[in-house]
Amino acid sequence: MNSSSLHLNLLRPSERLSSSPVRMRVMLPVGAILSCIGLLVWWGVLLTQLVMTKAQSAGIEEELSAKSKEHSEVIRQRDLARELKLQLEQLEFYRAGVRSVAEPLARLAEVVPLRVQLKQLSFTPPPRQVLQPPGMKAPLFGPTENVETQKLVMAGLTTKETPVVSLMESLEGGFERLVTHERKINSFRQDNAEAEGRKLLSFEVEYTMPERRFAK
Amino acid sequence: MSAGFFDNMAPTARRSLVVTAIFAAIAVVIYLFCLQPCESQLARARRTLAELQGRQSQTNGDLRSAGTVKKDLADLEAALEPYEEAMLVPLLESYAMRAKTILDPIALGAGLEDVRYTDEPFRALPLPRPMPRQLHTRAAVKVMARGSYQQAVSFLLRMERELPLVSLQQFEVASQSTPEAQSVMFVLEWPAKGGLTRK
Repeated sequence: MNSSSLHLNLLRPSERLSSSPVRMRVMLPVGAILSCIGLLVWWGVLLTQLVMTKAQSAGIEEELSAKSKEHSEVIRQRDLARELKLQLEQLEFYRAGVRSVAEPLARLAEVVPLRVQLKQLSFTPPPRQVLQPPGMKAPLFGPTENVETQKLVMAGLTTKETPVVSLMESLEGGFERLVTHERKINSFRQDNAEAEGRKLLSFEVEYTMPERRFAK
Repeated sequence: MSAGFFDNMAPTARRSLVVTAIFAAIAVVIYLFCLQPCESQLARARRTLAELQGRQSQTNGDLRSAGTVKKDLADLEAALEPYEEAMLVPLLESYAMRAKTILDPIALGAGLEDVRYTDEPFRALPLPRPMPRQLHTRAAVKVMARGSYQQAVSFLLRMERELPLVSLQQFEVASQSTPEAQSVMFVLEWPAKGGLTRK
């Protein structure tokens, strides 16, 4: 005999219980509440950190303000020291270019032969400084070159060439502060002047002087 | 359809959903109006603190170096002193007249006569890098006189001894009628204060 059983499901879907031991209708609100609590704790932590950071900043600001006078004095002194160092550097450039030629000029009189009469002894002017190069709107504060070269010109009269040669030979040693070995005879010719009944010879010799180097 | 779903829910489930929704909304409000502003405030405060800490360590470092700075300054002032003493300062706006007050006794001692002083164009000095605010220059004064070569050299010897920072830029001795009365010309250079590179 066949018997068939009849199953009646009278539960509404919403009334159906889950087989899971964790009920969603409990866990969802609990989760939401816990999230709120967590966020509040997080906010509390941030607020504490904010207060502590601000307090630390206020402490440092107070310390800085207490030290500000002393600090600005140190800064002023440091800036002044930097400025003075640069000024000293420029003045040392000047000192490096100072020329001391009195002593060789004094000795020069001793080596001029008797038969030479110096009519003129001069240093040529230093080269012109170009502080406004073409194309530049504002002039420069300083020259682009730090070396200056001048010439020493000696002109005089003599009776013959040997005393002049002797003078030039004398200048070859011991006059390094006054002249270099670079020289040029600008002229050597008969002059209108006479001595002891004969025509004198005039000469002009040009020596390159040692460089004036305005640098350390 | 969602309303039907809500209506079909058991009362406990419905209550649960409402409570969840309310707390979720509270959580969003806390995040948006409390946490986020607080976080940005904290970030700002931390940035300020980091800046202040940087300034604090800089200040402390500067203050620790105060002794060295003071010593450096004293050394520099001592090194500059000979230059300050040698510097040519104008007398009533005239450098030549100041040079006259300095050089007249030396010229007189050397026996030079008819000594005249005139201002010459200044020459600039090379610049250190970076440039100082106060520049210095080469102040030049032309001295013309009458005397012998020996007197001119004697003047130079004494000048170099007494004024070691004065330099001879140009020199000329030209013979006149007698060897004792030659025309002598010197252009002498002094260190002097120049212009300012910035205000």
